[in-house]
Amino acid sequence: MIEPGGHQPCPRSIAFCLSIMLFCSVLLTGCWDRREVNDIGFVIAMSIDKEGDGKYRLAVQVPLVSSLGGPSGEGGGTSGDKSFYVDSAVGKTIREAYGILQSRMSRLLYFAHYRVVILGEELARNGLSNPLDIVTRFPEHRLTSFVVITKGKGMDLLSAQPQFERFSGEALRELVKSVTIPVSMKDLAQMANHKGLDPFLPVFEPVQSHPKGKSKEVEAMGVAVFRKDKLIKILSRSDSVGLRWFQRYFNPFSMIVKLNSNEWINTEVLRGETKIRPVIKQGRVHYDIHLKSSIVITENMTTLNFDNENSIDLMEKRVSEEIENKIKIILEHSKATKSDPIGLGMVLARHHPKTWKTTYRDKWRDELPDITYTIHSKVQATNIGQTTNNIMKEDPRE
Amino acid sequence: MDFKKFLNKGREEEQNDLHLEACSLSELEGVPISPVLDDNIGILERMFSDCSDFVIRKFQLKNSVHAIAVFVDGLINTQEVNEALKSLMILEDGSADVSYIESQWLPVSQIDKVKDYKGLLQAVLSGDTGILVEGNDEGLALGIRGAEKRSVNEPEGESVVRGPREGFIENIRTNTSMLRRKLKTPRLKMKSLVVGRESNTNVVVAFLEGIVDPKLVNEVTHRISRIEIDAILESGYLEALIQDNEYSPFPQLMYSERPDTVAAALLEGRVAIFVDGTPMVLLAPTTFWMMMQASEDHYERFQMSTFLRWLRYLFLAISLVTPALYVAVTTYHQQMLPTTLLLSIAAAREAIPFPAIVEVFIMEIAFEALREAGIRLPKTVGQAVSILGALVVGQGAVQAGIVSAPMVIVVSITGIASFTIPHFNAAIAIRLLRFPLMVAAAVLGIYGVLVGLLVIVGHMASLRSFGIPYLSPIAPMSVGDLKDVLVRAPWSKLVYRPGFLGIQNARRIGGDFIAKARRSEEDAEKRESNDD
Repeated sequence: MIEPGGHQPCPRSIAFCLSIMLFCSVLLTGCWDRREVNDIGFVIAMSIDKEGDGKYRLAVQVPLVSSLGGPSGEGGGTSGDKSFYVDSAVGKTIREAYGILQSRMSRLLYFAHYRVVILGEELARNGLSNPLDIVTRFPEHRLTSFVVITKGKGMDLLSAQPQFERFSGEALRELVKSVTIPVSMKDLAQMANHKGLDPFLPVFEPVQSHPKGKSKEVEAMGVAVFRKDKLIKILSRSDSVGLRWFQRYFNPFSMIVKLNSNEWINTEVLRGETKIRPVIKQGRVHYDIHLKSSIVITENMTTLNFDNENSIDLMEKRVSEEIENKIKIILEHSKATKSDPIGLGMVLARHHPKTWKTTYRDKWRDELPDITYTIHSKVQATNIGQTTNNIMKEDPRE
Repeated sequence: MDFKKFLNKGREEEQNDLHLEACSLSELEGVPISPVLDDNIGILERMFSDCSDFVIRKFQLKNSVHAIAVFVDGLINTQEVNEALKSLMILEDGSADVSYIESQWLPVSQIDKVKDYKGLLQAVLSGDTGILVEGNDEGLALGIRGAEKRSVNEPEGESVVRGPREGFIENIRTNTSMLRRKLKTPRLKMKSLVVGRESNTNVVVAFLEGIVDPKLVNEVTHRISRIEIDAILESGYLEALIQDNEYSPFPQLMYSERPDTVAAALLEGRVAIFVDGTPMVLLAPTTFWMMMQASEDHYERFQMSTFLRWLRYLFLAISLVTPALYVAVTTYHQQMLPTTLLLSIAAAREAIPFPAIVEVFIMEIAFEALREAGIRLPKTVGQAVSILGALVVGQGAVQAGIVSAPMVIVVSITGIASFTIPHFNAAIAIRLLRFPLMVAAAVLGIYGVLVGLLVIVGHMASLRSFGIPYLSPIAPMSVGDLKDVLVRAPWSKLVYRPGFLGIQNARRIGGDFIAKARRSEEDAEKRESNDD
């Protein structure tokens, strides 16, 4: 039994000494991972290509911070000089290439800020799993950065010098967000890992917008469609728009519609909603696809007068046919290549989870060519898009 | 001590003469006034030898009895003292008994009878005029004071847009009268104490009987009377000697130079401590949130006051952590910044020769020096300092590439933020604590900042001011009181005084008044029905 009072309370001085020692041990760790911003090279964008001999080429775009207009750099901006530089190295692995790059770079390459990852076409055709391993192995890398494909070498896209932004990486990011269906690294991984869904990525290319200009702009060229992690086909801009109806967020875009042989209407598709209902009939999968779109007329080069309700009906019918057409292109392509960028398999899995598991999950690609579908498209023109009739034409009411 | 012994000591032993010339008031406790006037004159003359401002005026009453008037030159109102002496020497006649003189001869409103030397000298040194009459073992102290004092001005430390413009001055009686004018009630009590062996400073503990917790008053007076120090020159001495935790950077007693603030604190059940010779009145107990409130909060519309409070809380956080966060983020957590912002910072820092922590220390210390210089210098020169500071430290240092422009922004935001804290002594605590946080940020990044903040919050939670937890009513939570801390509720909703102070009579609005009004209404109705 412990006698009361036999237990000595811990003297204050001992507690004080202990806390000082604890505090010192914290200080002993020092500033081991301290890095000042002037010792870092921020990677704004990077590209990965596959060389002919099977090696990887890693290219990084690093801003030349001193030419960005600090207090000492007079004038600032990009007067004459480039505000960034692009360097690349080749290695059997990407990390090896990185090591070579770092060994000739006085600043620590810092990957937490890249906006886009550019993948060369050659690399994508050989499969993305191995090259993208590095992305998840370092906490620095961001899963929210966008991924794009380029025809040819990724490095060419990096060295493009768009006029509006300081770096092509920045320009690419803005473009991906505004004009294409954006796919982030995380989305890409999810699409590649799910059965019944295949990845797709926007395609960009450097273009010479001005024949004699020294600037090169980057332009969205379409969508690259994958089977599992391998690129199989690049769809053109107008062929790929059908995919937009099957995304979580509908990014408004502009579409041209042929009214008859030589009359065109330009529309801006504001919203598109899709409901897909899969029906299994005698072992074959049939999809009922209901599309609802609302559009704005942005240009009218026809003789139609939209004061007239019949003209609107006619126009809406034509637009609706055109949309059906775009969807068909994607579906047919899907059937032909056995790849499923829409995620038809996912839809089936959600509606018939048991059948999906027992029958379709493991042989979905073989089932794809056999699916059938019907498309019901509805279009509503919410805005005729003009305050008066064409002022160059005679007013029909007079 | 017996009077004869005391006198004999003085006469027979030469050494004790010295003692008489250098004895303090407390030692004179109980030393009676001699009926023999010449003895008194002798004692006073020896005690106040070499005191050129001490006057002993010998005169005769109209009935030829000898008497003296003693006073300190400059502390009395000469004209009125002359009037009093006139009535003694010329106008009145009768018995030479002090009680008789007091009640019949002297047309002076404030007269005290003093029985011993301590009482006499305390009164005379405070500005009274002492009258000693042959044959009396009591003296009179005429309260005819006329020392120079500053006029009542607008308080410079706590200026407001809306609200009274009067501030306390150095005279304690003027100060208590200003409070009395705000609270005209017999419940306003003012306990008088004297602290300091040499200064004999008058201290008044004011409180509202019936609202304040009586234990609190006892504790405050007990702690003050326990003080043994030679002088109290400012309320800061007193604050330091009665606070709960000496080593904390946080002030545990608030001071104010506004009578309305003090009155408001008394109405919440706090105690005010007036100290003679300073316009700063201490308020106890103090909580941290009091420091974040200005008197104007309760005068302006409640939406505005609530907004301002939130603004202050926000800027409190900003002034504490901005430099530390800047250091942490730019040296450890670059991934946390938006890319374009990071590139701007990188561009600005490109040519800077120092690491961020050195840079921030240079700037913060320069800023503190500027602020100190601005306070101490004469006002005319102060302006030159601020121009120099803005030009040299701001623009010059950036252009010379010694510090970066974002750093100047960080430091100026921090400076402005610390000015939004209404009470200067709380702002000082925050200013000081910035520096350890910066070091923690430089060593451990944001983890260090968080650890530092935890230590600070833990310390604040453990602090107490006269038994009241420093962070109440947030911690410990007292939900009803939050409406005058998190927000400033409209006055009609602030029905109760803060509950965490353990007060009596918690109701602030309604209560008696409403009940009475209702009763009289009912009575009127009854009378009407009786008439019918």
